Amino acid sequence: MLDIQNLRFRYSRRSPMVLDGVNLTLRDGEIGILLGKNGSGKTTLFKNILGIQKPESGSICFDGEELLKLSRRERARRIAYVPQSIHFGALSVFDTVLMGRVSYFGYKAGKEDEAAVEAILRDMKLEDYAARNVEQLSGGERQKIAIARALAQEPRLLVFDEPTGNLDIANEQLIIDEARRAAREKGIAILTSLHDLNQALDLGDRFFFMKNGKIAHAGGAEIVTEEVIRETFDAEVRIAQIEGKKIIINGGHKI
Amino acid sequence: MRVQSDLTKNRRRNRTALILLTVAVIVLAFVCLFVGSSHMSFAECLAALAKKGSAAQVRIIWNIRIPRVLAAIIAGAGLSISGLIMQTDLNNPMASPSTLGVSNAAVFGANLSIIAFAGGFLDTGNHLSSYTVGANPYATSLMAFLFSTVSILLILGLCRLRAFQPGVVVLAGIAIGSVWTAATTILQFYATDVGLSAAVIWTFGDLGRATYRTDCIMAVVVLAGLAFFTVMSWQFNALLSGDAAAKSMGVAVDRLRFVSMLLASVITAVCVSFLGIIGFVGIICPHVTKRLLGQDHRVSVPASALSGSVLLLLADTLSRSMGNGSALPVGAITSLLGAPFFLAIIFSRKGEHD
Repeated sequence: MLDIQNLRFRYSRRSPMVLDGVNLTLRDGEIGILLGKNGSGKTTLFKNILGIQKPESGSICFDGEELLKLSRRERARRIAYVPQSIHFGALSVFDTVLMGRVSYFGYKAGKEDEAAVEAILRDMKLEDYAARNVEQLSGGERQKIAIARALAQEPRLLVFDEPTGNLDIANEQLIIDEARRAAREKGIAILTSLHDLNQALDLGDRFFFMKNGKIAHAGGAEIVTEEVIRETFDAEVRIAQIEGKKIIINGGHKI
Repeated sequence: MRVQSDLTKNRRRNRTALILLTVAVIVLAFVCLFVGSSHMSFAECLAALAKKGSAAQVRIIWNIRIPRVLAAIIAGAGLSISGLIMQTDLNNPMASPSTLGVSNAAVFGANLSIIAFAGGFLDTGNHLSSYTVGANPYATSLMAFLFSTVSILLILGLCRLRAFQPGVVVLAGIAIGSVWTAATTILQFYATDVGLSAAVIWTFGDLGRATYRTDCIMAVVVLAGLAFFTVMSWQFNALLSGDAAAKSMGVAVDRLRFVSMLLASVITAVCVSFLGIIGFVGIICPHVTKRLLGQDHRVSVPASALSGSVLLLLADTLSRSMGNGSALPVGAITSLLGAPFFLAIIFSRKGEHD
């Protein structure tokens, strides 16, 4: 379980707080979605959880362990990251995924690391890609490789920054399905940010609305209401129910 | 298994490439040994190699040509891996020891030694006479090395303040490099004709300055670098995915970048101090190997090292066979060979992306 308490962060002593007392909990196998305007602190929160940036105060615990006290390699075995813009360098797909195991093997990959990578490639139906140059793959394929690499870290938590940012509809669905599978089948907690509110409703178990460096609202799908969205995004939407599912329509049009 | 059989093809290609490059280094080393301005025949060279020829011929092979060939192999490898690692560290295909002002600082140090402290320091050893007049034969090299090391530490120190953003390192390198160039210009303005020509000649890269002792010093530094870069191959591979991704995989990015930049710069500083400026090896060789074999550092580190040796051996052989009795500066030959090659890479790459 991820448990963040009163997390505060700013880039320098003179700049304003970017994270101003964030509280957030996420259980194993749950998919949590951060929602908020650009610049509301979502990526900064991710970077704090990943240890890329150090918070000023507060705590980030995972399964009762204080993450800030773990070494970089120990943390990498618990938390994996799929960044927003993905580039790898001209490596084979196999080596790229094997790279995810670097926090386990350190300097030289062993047989068990290669076996783990093979299993992941088989599981994600990427076997035919193994020897291909990852640079020559399409955006959607690369995103999939990035997920495979993150899974090779055998994480308990997967941080996924804007997973569908640059993808077409078919690939978006593919990546969403892949994320859901990781959560449901492997019990990995997933924390992600999405711009598309309908996608968020489709994928998420818990929703965190961020505003001014704080989590203003947190909860299940029931908290996703017209008022909360208006308050968070300063935008008018309507929510309709179709076959028991909430559908969010941009703009204040009546239906 | 299917995955394994697909990968075997890649691995076999890489192994073949490394073997071919090793063979090329060995063959070229011998070619280099047998070509020279003294017009010794092949048989005479072989005899001298076995220490059975005339005393002069034995001396040419053992005291002049072998140290020179070793210098080409060691310095070529060193300059090439320095370039490769800087390109990975700074995420910039144009990064090389000269981009960071390492060479400019070495030139200033050497100029200072030659111009300000009398031209007698020009000689870098290999002659008994310089020992008898009491001048330290390594003075110029030492000054070159000191200034390039100070310059690197200055840049790396400044960049630590800014959390090592690669863009900042490159800009700082360019700025500080231009300061050294300006200082060199001012120094040369006040130099005597003799001092100026001695200083300018120093900057021409010349493998002929190598002795067994300088070869040993270079070998120690280059081998240390090669060992470190090979061990850290996976960390460098992770760095190709960007800082945030590498950190999230458990790589200590800032420390890796600091240590490897320092090591790459010291390798360059040592080679340049002993041999003068040998341009472009650090850009061409890593680029060609990355293009042909990909960016996996487990392969590109040894392949770049070997291809650097190949280029320098080739350039040295050419420089000694074209000079009509005297060897042309090898630094000029590497650039002459390298620049067209480099242009070809740039333009073919553009086509790939369009």
